[in-house]
Amino acid sequence: MIKLENISFDHCIKCTVCTIYCPVARVTHLYPGPKQSGPDTERLRIKNPELLDISLKYCSNCKRCEIACPSDVKIADIIQTAKWRYSKKEFRIRDFLLSRTDLMGTFGTLFAPVVNFFTHLGIVKYFLDLVFKIPKGRTFPNYASMTFKKWFKETRKYQNKYLEKVVYFHGCYVNYNYPQLGKDVVKVLNALGKGVIITKEKCCGVPLIANGYIKKAQEHGRHNIKVLSKALPDEKTKIVSASSSCSLALKHEYANLLELDNSPIAHNIAYITQYVLEEFENGNIPKLKPLTYTVAYHSPCHLERMGNVAFTIELLRKIPGLTVKILHSECCGISGTYGFKNEYYAISQAVGNELFKIIEEANPDFVVTDCETCKWQIEMNTKYRVVHPISLLAEAIE
Amino acid sequence: MKFDCIIIGGGISGLTAGIRCAKEGLHTAIISSGMSALHFSSGSIDVLGYLDNTVVYKPFEALDTLTGTIAQHPYTKCGKPLIIEALQFFKQECETQNVYLFDNENLNHFHVTALGTLKPTYFSQRSVFNEDVYNRFKRMKKIVIINFEGYRDFHPQLAAAQLSKHALFANCEIVAKSIEMPQIQNLSRHPHEFRSIDIARIFEDEEYVYKIADAIRLAADGADFVVIPAFMGIHNFNQIHNIIQSRTRLLVYEVPTLPPSILGLRIDNALKSRFAQLGGVFVAGDKVVRAEIKDDVVQAVYTANHPENPLEAKFYILSTGSFFSGGMVSEFDNMYEPVFKLKLHFEPQRNKWYSPQFFYSHSHPFLEYGVVTDENLRPYDSKNNIIQNLYCSGAILAHYNPIREGCGSGVAISTAYKAANQIVSLYKLMR
Ligand SMILES: Cc1cc2nc3c(=O)[nH]c(=O)nc-3n(C[C@H](O)[C@H](O)[C@H](O)COP(=O)(O)OP(=O)(O)OC[C@H]3O[C@@H](n4cnc5c(N)ncnc54)[C@H](O)[C@@H]3O)c2cc1C
Ligand code: SF4
Ligand code: SF4
Repeated sequence: MIKLENISFDHCIKCTVCTIYCPVARVTHLYPGPKQSGPDTERLRIKNPELLDISLKYCSNCKRCEIACPSDVKIADIIQTAKWRYSKKEFRIRDFLLSRTDLMGTFGTLFAPVVNFFTHLGIVKYFLDLVFKIPKGRTFPNYASMTFKKWFKETRKYQNKYLEKVVYFHGCYVNYNYPQLGKDVVKVLNALGKGVIITKEKCCGVPLIANGYIKKAQEHGRHNIKVLSKALPDEKTKIVSASSSCSLALKHEYANLLELDNSPIAHNIAYITQYVLEEFENGNIPKLKPLTYTVAYHSPCHLERMGNVAFTIELLRKIPGLTVKILHSECCGISGTYGFKNEYYAISQAVGNELFKIIEEANPDFVVTDCETCKWQIEMNTKYRVVHPISLLAEAIE
Repeated sequence: MKFDCIIIGGGISGLTAGIRCAKEGLHTAIISSGMSALHFSSGSIDVLGYLDNTVVYKPFEALDTLTGTIAQHPYTKCGKPLIIEALQFFKQECETQNVYLFDNENLNHFHVTALGTLKPTYFSQRSVFNEDVYNRFKRMKKIVIINFEGYRDFHPQLAAAQLSKHALFANCEIVAKSIEMPQIQNLSRHPHEFRSIDIARIFEDEEYVYKIADAIRLAADGADFVVIPAFMGIHNFNQIHNIIQSRTRLLVYEVPTLPPSILGLRIDNALKSRFAQLGGVFVAGDKVVRAEIKDDVVQAVYTANHPENPLEAKFYILSTGSFFSGGMVSEFDNMYEPVFKLKLHFEPQRNKWYSPQFFYSHSHPFLEYGVVTDENLRPYDSKNNIIQNLYCSGAILAHYNPIREGCGSGVAISTAYKAANQIVSLYKLMR
C-alpha cells in the first residue's frame, strides 16, 4: 500500500536538476543519480520489490538533491527508505560496529589511550582494511579519556543557579570523542544566562539509519523523544544541539523517515547557532573580545538541508575582528559512516577533492564548520585545523 | 534574523536584485526553495524578440512602440534608459565571474534551438554567438550538426532538417553526424543514460577534451561550422571552447539542450558566486510560507523550515516566478499568490486561461497573469492597499507575455534592477 503522504515521487517533473547537484553522481558513473534511483525507480519498486536496482546503495544521504529539486520531491528520503525496505539485509560486523556509536564510545573512552594508539597503527589499519573492509587510508577520531557526561556531573550544580534553562542534546561525538565542544556549548549558554540540562539521551540514530538498522533507530528515536520532552520545564524551553546531523535527525528524520511522532519536541529543537543568534538579536550579547583570525567557513550538507547555514554565518559575523571567507557550498564526501567503508572510500575522497581544493585556495588560519564528520574529513585531507563555530564564540567570550 | 533587504526567490530576477543591493552595501538575503527557471532556459537573455508576431531586429526601437502602447507593461514602468542600464549592469556582473555575454551591438541575433528553429535574442554566451559567427555566416557553405552516440536529448537530424528549411540557410549544406563517446574508465553505464550534465563533466576532464576535439574534427569533414549540444563544460567553459576551436580550427557553436540546461547553469553559478562574493546570504532549499504585515508594511516573513523564527528586513522583493516555480498557484477555478495573497490580474473563468491549440501563435493568456503593481513595482494586498516596503520583479508580474514577446529574462533583469534601485535610494535616505 502506498500512503498518500508518501507520493512525493509523483511530483517529479523529470527535470534532472537533482542529478546536477548530486556529489556522488558527479564523481562516479556507478551511481545513476537521484532522479533515477529516487522517483524514477520508486514506481517500479512499488510494483515489484524485485526490481530494486542496488546501485542506489551509493547514495550517501547528503540531501543536496532535495535542496535543488524545484518540485519538493523528498528524493533522499525515498532512496533511504528503499534501501532498507527493499534490499536484502546481510549482517556485516563492520556496519554493526560503525553504527553503534554508544557501544563503541563506551569502550573507546574506557580504554582511550590504548584504543587511540592502536587505531593509528599501520598494522591495525591494514587489519581493519582486510577483515572489516574499513579503508586503511582513513584516520579515526580519537576517544576522550573522560566522557562529557562525566564532566557535566561536576558542573550540574552550578547550572541550577540560572533561572532560565536550555536542554542540550550533546550527541555521541561530544560525549566520547570531543567533550571540549560540549564544554564550549555550556560556556556559551551560561554566558547568555542560561542553565544547561542534559538528559539520558541515546545516539540520535543517524548512523543506524545509514546502515539500515531502522528498528534500532526507531527505538532510539522513541527513547529520545521521551526523555527530551520530559526534561522540558515548559513549552518555551529550547532543546539545542551543536551537531548538524543530530539536529536534522531530531527535527526531520524522526518524522519523515522513521515515521515517529516527534511533535512533543519538534517545536523546541533549535540548532545552536540559531538559538544563540536569536539571543544576540534580542540584545542578550555577552562581552566579546576581538579574534583576529581569518577563517574559511564550510557549510555541512545537513545544515544546508535544515536551512540553517545563514544562522551560523550571521553569528560568525558577530564576532569582532574575525574575517570569514564563505566557501562555495560543496559536500566534504564523508557523509557520516559512508567514508569509513572500503567500497565507498574512493568515491568519498573524490567528492571531497573539490572542497579540499577551495580550502587550500582560501588559505585561512583554520576552517570553521558545524559538523563533526566534516571535521574529520577536512583534517585528514588538508593541513588545516577545524573548529566548531561555538568553540570560536566560546573563545571570544571573556 | 535581521537584514536590510530580503529577496524571496533566487532566479535570474532575485539574484540580479540581490547583487545590486549587496553591491550598494545593503545586508541582503535571498531565500529560494528550489532551483529556478534558469536551469530550463536557453541561457540566452531575450529582451524583446517579437512584436505583433513579427521578429524584432532592433529591440530598443521596438521597445518604444511597446511602451507607447501597453501602459501596464513592466517595461513601460521601467522605461528605456533604465532597461539599458540594467542590461549593462547584468552583463558586467556576469563578466566578473568569467561569463562573457555577446550583444551584437544593440541588435538582436538568432540562436539555434535544439529543434533547429531560430530564436531572436539579445545576449548570448560567446560559445553561442560572437563576432566570428556573425562575420563568417554569409560565406558559410557547410554546417555539421553533431551529437554523441546514445545521447537521447538531442536529435541532430531533426535540427538539420528544420534548419535547412530556413531562408537564411538556403545556400548552405547542413549535415547531421554522430560521434562516439571517448572510452571512459569505469564506464559501466550506457551513454543513453547520460544527460547533458554527465557529458559536460566529461568535457571538463583534460584527458578527454582533446580526444573529443579530434573526433569533432574528423566528423566535421570539410565543414566551416560545427554545431554541438551545449556540453562544453560547467566551470571551465571559456577554456574548453578555446581548446576545441583551436584544435579543430573550426567554429564550434553550442545549442541549448533539453533540461538541465548547461548554458543556464553557467549563468546561475555566476550570479550566485557574485552574490556570495559581495557578502550576500543565500538560503537554498527553504520556502517562504507566510508574511506578517502591519499597517501596509511587511514586518517579517517565515519559512517552512523555521515557521516560528521571523526573518526581518526593512525592504522585501518578491521574485518567486510564475506558476512553474510556485510564485503563483492555480486551483480549479481560482488563482492566488501564496505568500502575501497579493492582488492578481487573471480571468476568473478557467476556459479563458489557455488557448485550445498548444502552439498557438498568440501564446496562452495565462502567461500574462500575475501580480498587479503600481508604477514603482509595489503590489496591492487583497484590500487594494499598496504594501509600502514590498516590490515585485520577474516572472511573477502581470501584463506581459514572455513567450509571445520573447522578453522573459529582459523583464526579469529590468524589473529587478528597478526594484533594487528604489530600495537602494530609500536605504541611503534613511541613513
Ligand atoms: C522552461 C523555460 C524556459 C525559458 N527560456 C528562456 C530563454 O531561453 N530566454 C529567456 O530570456 N527567458 C526564458 N524563459 C523565461 C525566463 O527564464 C523567466 O521569465 C525568468 O527566468 C524568470 O525569472 P524569475 O527570477 O522571475 O523566476 P524563476 O526563475 O521562476 O525563479 C523563481 C524562484 O523562486 C523560488 N520560489 C518560489 N516560491 C518561493 C517561496 N515561497 N519561497 C522561496 N522561494 C520561492 C523558486 O523555487 C525559484 O527558484 C524561460 C522560462 C521557462 C519556464
Ligand atoms: S529535481 Fe525533483 S523534479 Fe527534477 S528530476 Fe529531480 S526529483 Fe524530479
Ligand atoms: S542524498 Fe546526496 S548522494 Fe544521495 S542522491 Fe541525493 S545528492 Fe546524491
